[in-house]
Formats: sequence, C-alpha cells, structure tokens
Amino acid sequence: MKDFDSKLDRRTVLKGGAALAGAAAASSLPFGSAFAAGYPDRNIKVYVPTREGGGADRLLRSVTGVWKNHIGTNFEPSFFPGAAGRVGYEKYMGLAKDDMYEFLFGNMGPEVLNWVVKKPTFDLNDFQYFAQVDSDPGILFVSRRSKFKTVDDIIAEGKKRTLNVGVSRLAHPATLGALALAKHTGAKFNPIPLSGGKNTRAGVATGEMDLGALPSGGIVNRAKTFKVVLMFSHTNPLPGRSDNAPTMNAHFGTNMPSLIAGSRAFGIKKSAIAKHPDRFAKVEETLKKAFADPAFKEAYAKTKSPWEFVGLRSAAQAKEYADNIAKIGAEFKDLLAGKQT
Amino acid sequence: MEYDLAFFTEMLGRTLALWWVLIPSIFLGLVVGAIPGFSAANTIIILLPLTLALEPEIGLTFMVGLYASSRMGAGIPAILVNIPGTAGAAATPLDGYPMTKQGRGQQALSMSFVASITGGLFTTIIALITLPWLSQVAFYLHSVEMIVIMFFGISLIATIAAKDTLKGLIAGFFGLMIGFIGTDVVYETPRGTFGFLELYDKVPLIPALVGLFAISEAFAVIEKQSIVTERGKAAMQEPGWAQTFEGVRIAASKWWHITWNSLIGLVIGVVPGAGAAIASFVAYQQSKTYSKTPELYGTGHVEGLIAPESANNGVTSGTLVPLLVIGIPGGATAAIMLVVLQFHGVTVGPDLFITSPELAFGPFTAMAVTYALMILTVLPLARYMSHITVVSTIYMAPIIISFTLVGSFVPRAYLFDMNLALVFGVIGYVARKTGYHVAAILIGVILGPLMETFFLRAMKMSQGDIMVLFSSSIGNTLWVFLVISLALPYIMNRRNGKREKAAAHDPYG
Repeated sequence: MKDFDSKLDRRTVLKGGAALAGAAAASSLPFGSAFAAGYPDRNIKVYVPTREGGGADRLLRSVTGVWKNHIGTNFEPSFFPGAAGRVGYEKYMGLAKDDMYEFLFGNMGPEVLNWVVKKPTFDLNDFQYFAQVDSDPGILFVSRRSKFKTVDDIIAEGKKRTLNVGVSRLAHPATLGALALAKHTGAKFNPIPLSGGKNTRAGVATGEMDLGALPSGGIVNRAKTFKVVLMFSHTNPLPGRSDNAPTMNAHFGTNMPSLIAGSRAFGIKKSAIAKHPDRFAKVEETLKKAFADPAFKEAYAKTKSPWEFVGLRSAAQAKEYADNIAKIGAEFKDLLAGKQT
Repeated sequence: MEYDLAFFTEMLGRTLALWWVLIPSIFLGLVVGAIPGFSAANTIIILLPLTLALEPEIGLTFMVGLYASSRMGAGIPAILVNIPGTAGAAATPLDGYPMTKQGRGQQALSMSFVASITGGLFTTIIALITLPWLSQVAFYLHSVEMIVIMFFGISLIATIAAKDTLKGLIAGFFGLMIGFIGTDVVYETPRGTFGFLELYDKVPLIPALVGLFAISEAFAVIEKQSIVTERGKAAMQEPGWAQTFEGVRIAASKWWHITWNSLIGLVIGVVPGAGAAIASFVAYQQSKTYSKTPELYGTGHVEGLIAPESANNGVTSGTLVPLLVIGIPGGATAAIMLVVLQFHGVTVGPDLFITSPELAFGPFTAMAVTYALMILTVLPLARYMSHITVVSTIYMAPIIISFTLVGSFVPRAYLFDMNLALVFGVIGYVARKTGYHVAAILIGVILGPLMETFFLRAMKMSQGDIMVLFSSSIGNTLWVFLVISLALPYIMNRRNGKREKAAAHDPYG
C-alpha cells in the first residue's frame, strides 16, 4: 500500500486540480441528462393498481418494451389490484422510495374519481402524474343483438322504464357520461358496476344489461358483438370503427367537457422529482424518444387497440384532465357514493 | 366451410402432430396445479414471453394442455396430503383424504385421474358437438339464476352440519363472514378489513385454502407418526399395480356419476364469472343428495371423490365456449388466453369459426387430445405418488408448511399473505380440535364473496326489490330443484326409518 506522501507529487496535484475544476464546472451547469449519467443503474419498478392481463398491462408492456432501449434499463411491473385502484396507490405512496426507480402506472379518470368519493390516506399534493400516454373516449354501447339501434331508441325507452347500464365501476368517467346523459334527457338510467371492462362486456353481450358505458378501446375491437351508439368526447376519433356514432354534445346540444374514460398515465412522488431533477429530466426525455420510435407504434399495433388514442401528454395536461374529471365527479358525488339513488 | 367428420379428423391430426407441445405442457400443468398458489393462469402469465413468441395455434395448444392438466394436478395434493392446489379442488379432500388415511391413496388417485380424464374428455366432445347451443347458456343464466346455483353449493354447509347442526352452522356462517371481508362490489366500501390494505380486495383464497386445510393438517399430523392409519399402512405394504387397476375399475363402474357431474361442470363453466369452485361444490352436493348411500360421504366415499373431480374438469371446456363464441372469457385462464390471441391479432367471436376454424376448434381438439394423452402419462404415476403419504410426519409437516407458505406468497407477492395463511392454519387447527368442520368454513370463504357479488348486482338492478330473486322462470325452476334437493334427504331418511321400523316389527322378516 502506498503511503499518503507518495501521492502528493506534481502529477497527482495536477490531476486533482483538474478534477476539482471539472466538478466545479459541472455544478454550475443546469440540471440535465448528462448529470444523470449514472442513472439508471438498475431496473425500474412500476406499480400497477390493476390486475395483470388487462388493458393497462398491455399498454404498459408496449411502452416499456421500447422505452427500456432509450433509458437503458428494464422495467418491472408489479400489480396491486383492489378497491378501484386504491390499493395500488396506497402501496405506492407507502412503500416507494423517492429515488426515481419507482413509478406508478394508473388510469387517471376512474382513480381520480375514486378519490372524490373517498379521500386516500396520503396527501394528494405529494403525488403527481408526469406523463399521460393515451386518451380513450367514454362511450355508450349496446349488443348487436339488442333491440336498440341508436341512442334515440335508448332515450325513448329510458323515458318509459329504468334501463340497467353496465359500467366498470360507479366512479368512472364513462359512468359520469351516462349519468349526465340521463340528467339532460330525462331518461332513467340505473348504473350497475360490474367490476371491470371484461365483466361489463359480458353483462351487455349476454343481455343482462340493457346497454353499457365504457372506454371505447375494448368495444371497437369487438365490432361484430357490440355497437357504439354515443361518444362522450368532443369528436369521434374513430368514425369508421364505431358506426359513425355521434358525440353527446353534437347530438344533444349539450356543453359537456370531453369525457376521456381511458387515460393511462405514469405517476410519481413529487419528492422524487424534487430530489432528483436531473434523473426526472432523463425520464421525460427518454419517454419522448420512445414515443417517437417507430418500434413503439409497431409494438402497440399488436395489441389491436386504436393507435389514434396514443399520444404523450405533459404533466400540466395530465393535471388539467385530472382536475376536470374531479370537478364533474363532485357534481355526482352523492350518487357515486350511494347516498343518492 | 363444412364442419364434417373429415374436418374434425383433420383437426385431430393437426393437434396430434403437436404432441411435442402437449406432453411438456401436461407435466408442467400437473406440477403447477399440485403446488398451492400456482395455477394455470399465473403460470401462463409467467410464460407470456414464450407463448407470445410461438405461433398462435401452438401457443394456444400449449396453454390448453397446461390448463387441463393443472386442473387435474390440483387434486393430487388434495387427496394425498389434504392440500387442495386451487379453489376448484377444495371439495376433493372431503372424501379423497379419508381414503388416503385408510391406505387407499393409490386407489383414490387413479379414481380421481379416471374421473378427471373421462369427465374432461366427455365434456370436451359434448362442447364441440353442442357449441352453437351451449354458447347460448350464458344468455339465460344471469345474476338471479347464479344466486340459486350458488345456494346449491352453500347448502353443503347444512349437509355438513347434519352431524352436529349447531357447530356446522357456526362454522359455515363464520366462513361467510370471512368471505364478506373487503370492499363491496357496488360502492367499494371497505368492510371488516381491520385497516389492512391487503384485505381490500377480499380475503385471498390461496392463503385461506392452504391455511384451513394444509397448515392446520400439518399441525394436527405432527401429533402422529404418519398421515396413514396403522391399518392403512398395512394395506400399503403390498406394492404393485393392483390398487391402480382397482381404482380404474371402481371409477369406470361409476360412469353415469362421472357423466352427469362433468355435465354440471360444463354448464357452470360456460357462465362468465362462475368457475370450478362453484362447480365442484354443487356437484358434491348434488351427488350426495341423489346418492343411495349419503351417510358414507365424508368418510372416504368413492362418489364423493368422483363428483368434484369430474365437475371441475368439465369446467375446463366450458370456459372456452364464451371466449371463442362471443369473445368473453369464462374464467381467469381464458382471459389470459385472450391476451395472447389479441397479441397475435386474432379477434375472437363468431367470425373466428369462419375465418380461422383451426384456431376456433383447435382449443377443443387440443383439450380432447390432452385428456387422451393424460391416460397414458398420468395413470402410471398413481402408484409412485401415493408413497409420499408414508413419509414420517416429522419430515412431512415442516415440508407442507414451508411449501404452502411459499404458495400463499406467490399469487400476490405479499408477505402479509404468508401470515394470513398461518392465522388460517391456527383457526383450522382449533376448529379440528373442537369439532368444527373446516370444509364448512371454507365453503363460506369461497362461495360467500361470489354469492354476495351476484346478490348485490341483482338488488341494484331491481333497485332494492327482493322479489327479483323470483322474477325469472329459469330461476324459479332452479328454486324448485333446490327445495327438492334440500328436502329429499330428509324425506328419504324418514322413509328408510319407517321401513326399518316396519322390518323390525315384521314377524316374518
């Protein structure tokens, strides 16, 4: 082992001085991906508040399958289903470290609405979505076997008797759309929560429900079984695949905000961003690259979900969407919480 | 396209050519089915990178083989060491395990294999023939009808309670209370969770299952030297194939029993959201009700073993029907199959039978070939598997506890679930020692949440009108059958009692 004095020669001093100068220069630079060069050096864990095999799982696999090549590490999804996403969020906020190695991948609309009905145990100000990756409009749909062919048929019947509307859960943007329609037209709708899109489709396909309200993605894929009769968005992004279904505002002259029912987004603890702005910059930058990569479109096409819904939206846009949904949810809060039927 | 004999012969040939996929999937299915916590669904998820990389026809054949064999594999530990591998095998140990204790483990295994294989094969063929009609079942069995079907299963509690009514009912209601823990399905309100997030999504089934059956059994057997009784040990001293052949002979003689119980499984399997757990309990209850020897159930009765095993294998082909015909998966494994098919750009639904008949009919022929191959590959194993039961309990008990604790961790990867399994183990042990039937508790835990889901859905649809339960003609017919099947044992008992009395007083008898 060399003694201390032997290190203090000219070369060492010069090398040390150069290193110090470099460090000083680096500290004066703005935060950027170059500063986060060592990040990531291990896998990134993603908390998913739904079951594996669902729409969120499929979308996450398509995104991270390409993103990993840009960020330079693998993603490990962990699934925490239960209580309309509450379990996943609570687990994330309770267990995740704020080192930028743990994200959450949720569906903003239903989960924000859930918080409107029941506040979470963590402070909502400690959490933020940083990238919305898709925007799937809420729709009203029927089985092809149904006697209802148009939304007008439904409204006419709904004025004579209460119609059972299959929904994924009560606190869901698509449910809000159905309730808003009922309120506007005077039709009587009884939303029946069927715990997820798969069960809702089963309820409508087997005729137990008169109609259903869900995000459009899982329905336009099954055009032989289901027919879309109304869109809760401002425009119909898929006229060819949805029987050219009208939008609510255009057909009924309402002024509803666009009800995007499927709105998957990455979220994170705000403290992680505050502690590691450099790493966060790298995350944002590489995610943008992944979305621009043709390999992503190719991977997504395999899921058969409409590409028209995919689009990277910023943290500010995600917040705006979440705030809007929370505002509409507050209007129907008692109904969603079962205090009013 | 014509679906004639030539078409199905060709399909069969195509599937047989995939033997190299089916044989490994059968053995893998048997292993994962036998390990509590693993199931066909989570194994297929783990193997997604593999199945997604395969051609859709090959991937589907692999998944079907794994699914069918795992269903049968779950019965093996249920019979030998009182550990049902999945909820679908929860009714199997009721008579399977007492047979093992009597030294008839090898016989019980071969009976279970025959019931599973022939039940599965028979219902697959029936499903193929009756596909257009069978696919309509889901259009007629809705929440109200499912409530009545659940009552058939839940009424088993009363049957179990027959020997000690009060204790049986307490155990059953205790199980139902545990089953209601978690958030409700309508308003997502947490109930009885004691603040544990891990209980929001209901009490997880595998920790409850392994705790109540396996861990409590491990606690109990440690007090003895061997699982098998002394008489049973003596019976097991003669090694050979005789016990296997005897099991096959007995099971074959119950062909009618296998037939109608597997049909119960097929019909329940077709309904989305129902499944093997409901089918096996309903089959057991029906089997006992119409048996000539109901008093033997629970003591190692052949019919009590054959009924749930043929029913839970009947479910396998049933769950494929709504998936392929209307694009709605009948169960968790079918849902994962759908993911794989979608990944390959295959759109399931009525059109599939026209556009890709090899993919539409392929799963059924794959299932039929799987069951046929299992006769050759699995039956010989009964002789060797049964010897696990003579291992001393000082080795057996810790192995059971370690394996089952790992098994309870696997489905959700929560340490909490391992602790929960231990809690259920203690509950099960206390229940055994005090004469409360753990099966009655488990029926409540498994069927309670399902029953509640259908009930709350029906009530929400009727806006609180309880008369909705009697609003459908199919439902009302089922109610009548339920009343008959509950009353029949008492009527038969009284009649037999009168006959015995009359015989006792008959001076010429």
